[in-house]
Amino acid sequence: MPSNDPVDVLIIGAGASGAAVAWSLADTRMHIVCMEQGDWTNPSEYPTNYPDWEQRLAGSDSIDPNVRGRDTDYPINNDDSPISVVNFNGVGGGTILYAAHFPRMHPSDFRVRTLDGVADDWPVSYDTLEPYFAENDRMMGVSGLAGDPSYPPKQPPLPPLPLGRLGETVAQGFNRLGWHWWPADSAIISRPYEGRDECKNLGPCTSGCAQGAKSSTDITYWPVALRKGVELWTRCRVREITVNAEGMADGVVYYDAEGEERHQRAEVVVLACNGVGTPRILLNSTSPQFPDGLANRSGQVGRNLMFHPVGFVRGYFEERLDSHMGPQGCCMLSNQFYETNPERDFVRGYMMQIVRGGVWPWTTAMQGAATGDIPWGPKHHEAFQRRFDHSANIGVLCEDLPEEHNTVTLDPELADSDGIPSPKISYTLSENSRRMLDHGVARAKEVMEAAGAVDVVGGGPARIAGWHLLGTARMGTDPETSVVNSWGRSHDVKNLFIVDGSIFVTSGGVNPTSTIQALALYVADTMKKNLATLFD
Amino acid sequence: MNDGLIASDAPFTPEEREILGALADTLVPASEDGVMPSAGELDIAGYVAGNAADFLPELGEILAGLDAGFAEEPLGIRVEHVKAFSEARPESFQRLLAEVYGCYYQDARVLEGIGAGAGPPFPRGNTVEPGDLSLLDPVMGSSTNWRREVPR
Ligand SMILES: Cc1cc2nc3c(=O)[nH]c(=O)nc-3n(C[C@H](O)[C@H](O)[C@H](O)COP(=O)(O)OP(=O)(O)OC[C@H]3O[C@@H](n4cnc5c(N)ncnc54)[C@H](O)[C@@H]3O)c2cc1C
Ligand code: SF4
Repeated sequence: MPSNDPVDVLIIGAGASGAAVAWSLADTRMHIVCMEQGDWTNPSEYPTNYPDWEQRLAGSDSIDPNVRGRDTDYPINNDDSPISVVNFNGVGGGTILYAAHFPRMHPSDFRVRTLDGVADDWPVSYDTLEPYFAENDRMMGVSGLAGDPSYPPKQPPLPPLPLGRLGETVAQGFNRLGWHWWPADSAIISRPYEGRDECKNLGPCTSGCAQGAKSSTDITYWPVALRKGVELWTRCRVREITVNAEGMADGVVYYDAEGEERHQRAEVVVLACNGVGTPRILLNSTSPQFPDGLANRSGQVGRNLMFHPVGFVRGYFEERLDSHMGPQGCCMLSNQFYETNPERDFVRGYMMQIVRGGVWPWTTAMQGAATGDIPWGPKHHEAFQRRFDHSANIGVLCEDLPEEHNTVTLDPELADSDGIPSPKISYTLSENSRRMLDHGVARAKEVMEAAGAVDVVGGGPARIAGWHLLGTARMGTDPETSVVNSWGRSHDVKNLFIVDGSIFVTSGGVNPTSTIQALALYVADTMKKNLATLFD
Repeated sequence: MNDGLIASDAPFTPEEREILGALADTLVPASEDGVMPSAGELDIAGYVAGNAADFLPELGEILAGLDAGFAEEPLGIRVEHVKAFSEARPESFQRLLAEVYGCYYQDARVLEGIGAGAGPPFPRGNTVEPGDLSLLDPVMGSSTNWRREVPR
């Protein structure tokens, strides 16, 4: 219960990384409190329980916080960006709505300066993180198939999810071209696991999983962390982190469920609010010692925002592919074009994510109306039947390199329901990303054609696709050019840690949550090993 | 029909409902093989009242704007009327289409007709074929293609 006695560790944000760090730090038996602005969600209220689930997805349960507009959300100004931010604000954070595609970053992703002469190397390596990847896979419950030649050896704890007709069909396209593909690592359980029942192939995982098969942190890490004694305070929205005369963090100012302003003292503060929420709090935490925002002596807070620009290619097939069923984002992937190839006109690369779903009945009819493919009137049924359940999609997920001018700043006018300034996103697609995207879209079209598609469409970047929020409080060894050190501790404020996607140095070309959580576990473990000298 | 939808008291007069039925029929007629019902067979007015009440006044205006004889016209003529309306008021038309499709693609008979299974996805679930993992043989046979951190 809230009181103003100082807590040992105050974690802000109960999403992917906040849950992992809370669970790991609980071993210390310290007094740990996590403040989360949102609520617990109730799976029996997820859209797939209701006949109008598709309409809910487009409105009250949208992945876009500006459309969802709950008082637990904060509005985001995306006017100055071709890609807009999507998220979820509540216990579980983005994992409530994520598609749970769970690839790890590759070894080369941590060494891009050494290998390719761009951006910076990470101060940690794949090998350092490997045990944490494995631990996280066990804690979350990950399904997949060992033996992927595009990775060092790894063993997912559960067998892979079904490929289905859709996967088989697209796989044949890859095989005809002689290109790499592999069943996806997925944070979705293919068999009963740790008291949870297996995936029932409902389809719309990005509306929340009513079955509890998708590994969101409210049902994986959090129950265990709470049993270990961590306190989770919901409806507590942090406005700023306060500092004492020595420039150390000494607590937070937050608003409780009634909108009352409160102060909570803490010995250690851990930020886990994602690549947009974290710089927002830091920039809003100004003081005479930190006039430009907390932990921002480098000027890097809020800079280097990376999304993964995404292109989509859709192929339509004569045969029925059962496209509307099965885990929407998790089928298979290809790393054929993942690594830099000097013969291409861009550096670094992309992953192809073969996805089903998103082509549900009402959505199919509405999309068909927008493109003119499925007319209303006498020809409606014939056109609808040709499209519905006859498509496969490939997402081309491009590595985004850090650029200082891609920023999260505080909007001078927009604010949330507690009056905290909203984030403003300023982002431009780089020439490198543009070329990569064009290359990927063209290759994905080749796959669809090789797989036998009769009609292929696609392009990018997709707009409502800012799922991955990275880089805005980067790690590094140099306090002049980075915000946190190699284990997430602020260079400027020695009792302030950051564990979410904002500490990424580069983005890799894969969905980031597996790496975000491995990194959070690594930071927690390093804190535990250094408890006696934590602030030295 | 319309299982599970919340229908409120009839929001329109019988004449308006007749026009609405004809309008919905025009947008989604029954399929020739009789498998798919027409949208006019469903309770569109009840659906809008229960699920999209903010659209009721606009829908009332749309119906008032259609000729009283609209419902009696043959399909071809109704299609021409609706086309003209869609060009004159594209936003209203989009909303109308979204609600008519919304009602239609929640209907049990429709969902079964398209092979999607009636009712919401949960708790029903779906069966997806596991797929043939021997398709991976050529990929497994290829040389290791992950790139080492330190070039060798
Ligand atoms: C629709 C969708 C699909 C996605 N699909 C995938 C996928 O397939 N694979 C993948 O790897 N990733 C996916 N992602 C991204 C994934 O959700 C994120 O990478 C991950 O959740 C980020 O973890 P995080 O800990 O950095 O932050 P989050 O999980 O976003 O958690 C941040 C938490 O902090 C809280 N918070 C923020 N500000 C405050 C404040 N001021 N006070 C108190 N609390 C605050 C928020 O409410 C939130 O709960 C997807 C995301 C979305 C939205
Ligand atoms: S497909 Fe599986 S993981 Fe996705 S919502 Fe359905 S049961 Fe959950």
